Amino acid sequence: MKNIRLGLLIAMVAGFTACEDTIDLQVPNGTTYPVLDAWITTEAGPQTIRLTQSVTSYTNSTPAPVLSDATITLEDLTDAKTYNFAFSNGAYSYDPGGDQSIGKVGHVYKLTVQYKGETFEATDTIKRVPSIDSITYEFKKSDESASGKEGYYAYMNAKDLEGGNDYYWIRSYRNDRQHRNTDIYAINGAFNDDVADGWVFIQPIKEGITDYDKPYQKGEKVIARIASLSHPSYYFIQQVIDQLNSGGLFAKVLENVKPNMVNVTTNGKVKMLGWFGASAVSFKEKVIE
Amino acid sequence: MRKHLILLLSLGCFLLQGLTLHAQQRFTVSGYVKDQQNGESLIGISVSKAGTSLGTVTNEYGFFSLTLPAGDHELQFSYIGYATIKQTIHLTRNQQLNIKLEKSSSQLSEVVVSGKQEKAVNTLNTSINRLDIAQMKKMPTFLGEVDVLRSIQTLPGVTTVGEGANGFNVRGGATDENLILLDEAPLYNSTHMLGFFSVFNPDAVKSLNLIKGGFPAEYGGRTSSVLDIRMKDGDNQRLGLTGGIGNIFSRLAVEGPIKKDESSFIVAARRSYVDVLFKPFLKGDMADTKLYFYDVTAKGNFKLNKNNTLFVSGYLGRDVFGFGNDVNMNWGNTTGTIRWNHVFNNRLFLNMTTFYSKYDYSLKFSNEDDKQPNEPDQSSQWTSNIINYGLKPSFTYYLNTSNSFHFGVQAIYYTFKPGKGTGSQENANSEVVLNDQHALESAVYLDHEFKPSKKFGVQYGLRFSAYQYLGKGTAYYYNDTTWGTRRRLIGSREYGNNELIKGYYYLEPRISAKYSITDNHAVKVAYARTTQFMHQLSNTASPTPLDIWIPSTNNIEPQVADQYTLGYFYDAPSGLLELSAELFYKKMAHQVDYIDNANLQLNQYIEADLLPSKGRAYGVELMAKKEVGATTGWVSYTLSRTERKTPGISGEEWFLNRYDRTHNLNVVVSHDFSKRSSLSANFVYASGTPGTFADSRLEYQDWDIPYNSTDKRNNYRLPAFHRLDLSFTRKGKPHKRWQGEWVFSLYNVYARRNAYTIYFQQNDDDPSKKEAKRLSIIGSILPGITYNFKF
Repeated sequence: MKNIRLGLLIAMVAGFTACEDTIDLQVPNGTTYPVLDAWITTEAGPQTIRLTQSVTSYTNSTPAPVLSDATITLEDLTDAKTYNFAFSNGAYSYDPGGDQSIGKVGHVYKLTVQYKGETFEATDTIKRVPSIDSITYEFKKSDESASGKEGYYAYMNAKDLEGGNDYYWIRSYRNDRQHRNTDIYAINGAFNDDVADGWVFIQPIKEGITDYDKPYQKGEKVIARIASLSHPSYYFIQQVIDQLNSGGLFAKVLENVKPNMVNVTTNGKVKMLGWFGASAVSFKEKVIE
Repeated sequence: MRKHLILLLSLGCFLLQGLTLHAQQRFTVSGYVKDQQNGESLIGISVSKAGTSLGTVTNEYGFFSLTLPAGDHELQFSYIGYATIKQTIHLTRNQQLNIKLEKSSSQLSEVVVSGKQEKAVNTLNTSINRLDIAQMKKMPTFLGEVDVLRSIQTLPGVTTVGEGANGFNVRGGATDENLILLDEAPLYNSTHMLGFFSVFNPDAVKSLNLIKGGFPAEYGGRTSSVLDIRMKDGDNQRLGLTGGIGNIFSRLAVEGPIKKDESSFIVAARRSYVDVLFKPFLKGDMADTKLYFYDVTAKGNFKLNKNNTLFVSGYLGRDVFGFGNDVNMNWGNTTGTIRWNHVFNNRLFLNMTTFYSKYDYSLKFSNEDDKQPNEPDQSSQWTSNIINYGLKPSFTYYLNTSNSFHFGVQAIYYTFKPGKGTGSQENANSEVVLNDQHALESAVYLDHEFKPSKKFGVQYGLRFSAYQYLGKGTAYYYNDTTWGTRRRLIGSREYGNNELIKGYYYLEPRISAKYSITDNHAVKVAYARTTQFMHQLSNTASPTPLDIWIPSTNNIEPQVADQYTLGYFYDAPSGLLELSAELFYKKMAHQVDYIDNANLQLNQYIEADLLPSKGRAYGVELMAKKEVGATTGWVSYTLSRTERKTPGISGEEWFLNRYDRTHNLNVVVSHDFSKRSSLSANFVYASGTPGTFADSRLEYQDWDIPYNSTDKRNNYRLPAFHRLDLSFTRKGKPHKRWQGEWVFSLYNVYARRNAYTIYFQQNDDDPSKKEAKRLSIIGSILPGITYNFKF
């Protein structure tokens, strides 16, 4: 989704007559693959990594089966440190203790996963991230909002870091970190390389922390996070978000997101889906009063 | 190459034969055929020697030329909906004859007989469908409005990916493979409002020809079809107004003589007003919503003297969307055409066309309206355009009743500004500008129409197309990589003004032949090679107005298609019913495909994301048509398949195109109850288009990512599409000058929710539920009312 407003306009045109229905679709079950969900951040405290089996039907809502028999090691190639992740409670984790954090800006990380006798590797670099200055919000009545939904619309006030192209993944949560709300990607203060360097994030990004179909309500807490991305990780996140927002008149065709874990085993056969990424993160939260 | 040489040689032989055979005293009668009432030139009128098969049809400017032995001849001029005129000429020298045909008043009776020559059973070409505006007006309308593109979708071989989709597909070709000509200027975006309405104002359209195969040599530059739309000349008898008031937009056209009988003009305009109607209901963020389109079509024709006529026509259309100062977007086509018809002598006709065509879009964003006091001013803009200038002198030489030649040269110069993005915050500016691109497309062609006997006729020709990708510009060179992944830039080179970066040259043979089994049955075969140098980049379900066109480059080879057609045509002896069956097979090379997650917007290295694919399409098209009587209409059915094979995609196996429809049935019926009331119905049934469905789900960072573990593209089909439309027209009592009519229409009568796309998402209220969702662009019955008038 290059631009939220454009999407709104398209929705408006189609909106006079269009409708969306949930349908019962018969699709034969797919083949299952191991899926690595590894995102290391600069946040203090424990870091967790999940390894699951893909669910062989999209509409099957049962949680993905957890794979517990892998060995996962993270190396900080810049500092030559190794962290062994241990499995417990459905995930692999490492706790550096106290207010220590594993992730450091500018460091290169390599993740190694050994699973069923085969070894997979990927690397990523932690880029710099700007802080979030504040979160503000305003109340809109149903007839004042483009989506027709009454509630509080929140804005994230932050500024891109000057110099070079910076890639970001912005995520908002409702009330707590267990409730993901919206996701949006950005380059510099806007959406393209080489423009908007050092800008305050432009309107669509600033407004992107509110789900227009479900604005915040009084008493709810808005949590915003900016995560820095390396260029390959940006490409992956962009693809995922585009796929998840697909729909409408100009729907993107379903394309599989490509993994970055490389099977380095000689004659290795297993394909591992998912992605290993690393980010510096900054958070801000605000309760709607 | 040898094949081509043989063709050229035989062409030469035919020429000589044609020139030397008939030494007997012969003379030529030539002239124009026009409408009695308004002076419009009439296209495709049968001109024949009564009682024989000798004859011709008028060309796009109403001109005909017929060479006959000296002596008396009774000539017959006929066309459906017009009273036949018979005129005896005494041919002792070359002579001019201008004819005016009168509209038949007895439309309702079954005695109206149309001309023979223009019937499919008698013409040489296959795969051509012609519609004139009177036929389009009879069909059920969408929201009360006559629509050119919707009407061609009822013809065999024409499909779309869905309702409201931008563009159409002909015989398994992509939407960018249609050459859409409005008074000979190419158009790059044929719809308004993202696909709901076509850009052609019906008040200014005279007729259209859709050529799907067996292309005459004069057409080139697109591989799948030519949609040749001709504007009205304007009434040269009296000043008049026509127009309509509908629930989406209103139209007004004024036309009249500049000099009676000789020169006339027409100016037609439309504007939609959904935004105006909704304005009182919009508040807050929506208060300053802009959502409308307009277009202006104008044409003038000037008869300079009996041998020279000048036509000037132009089109300007714009779609405008926006919210206050926050978002402002607009896009549209601008075209201009100047044509000069010159009759050198009775047998040699020249049409010289020069044209200009531009498609551009602009998006502007600003934070002016919602800015907090401490925030900086921000604005950004994104623009893109394609401009072309063309010159096309085309000659027709009518040697005798058995031989005529079409020849000419063509040149189109293109400039592309693929994208410019600028942004500013306070006084700091930054911009991304993609390099301009330039290209020259040129061609020389010769076509020979040869009818040695009543039974047999052939039109064969050769087109030589040259394409040059020119400086000033930068050529990029990429590495060879695993197919399906982004290629890496390994070098670039700057080229100066008009320096050749890369050239491509093609010989395109064309042939269509007809054999009449009897007067009423004919079999036709055709072969055509076509090439295409311009490509629209789009990897969404249907192209968006922001999808750019790019030229062939050193990295993108031109598309080449070879099409074979076999057809059978039947015309009932009564002239009431026409039947046709056509088989086609089309092989396509270098169609453009994309790597997964290709970046098609504001990307200087866009070529690194493109893949060349092979295509094939085949099918059978059946059509039955009844054009006279109280009940008229047609039934068309197409059984077809269209596939492609792209390295790095879908396991490098053939996969169905997004626009493949196995079955496609259209029934168009119109019944006149009286002179004033008529009812029409349209029913469509089409197999669902293919889609790529998720068969599994990945849990990742609290997302549920749909995944297709087969890695095969378009591996499933959407449910079948079907829809019924009705419309009722009631004409007002005829007054001396004022004529009015009400059109009531119902679109999607039984409110079917046809699937446009199916996608996979979490439930909005309960994210733990994962769902497949169907989007229907038109999910209910849509009524429409329009009042049309003529003054």
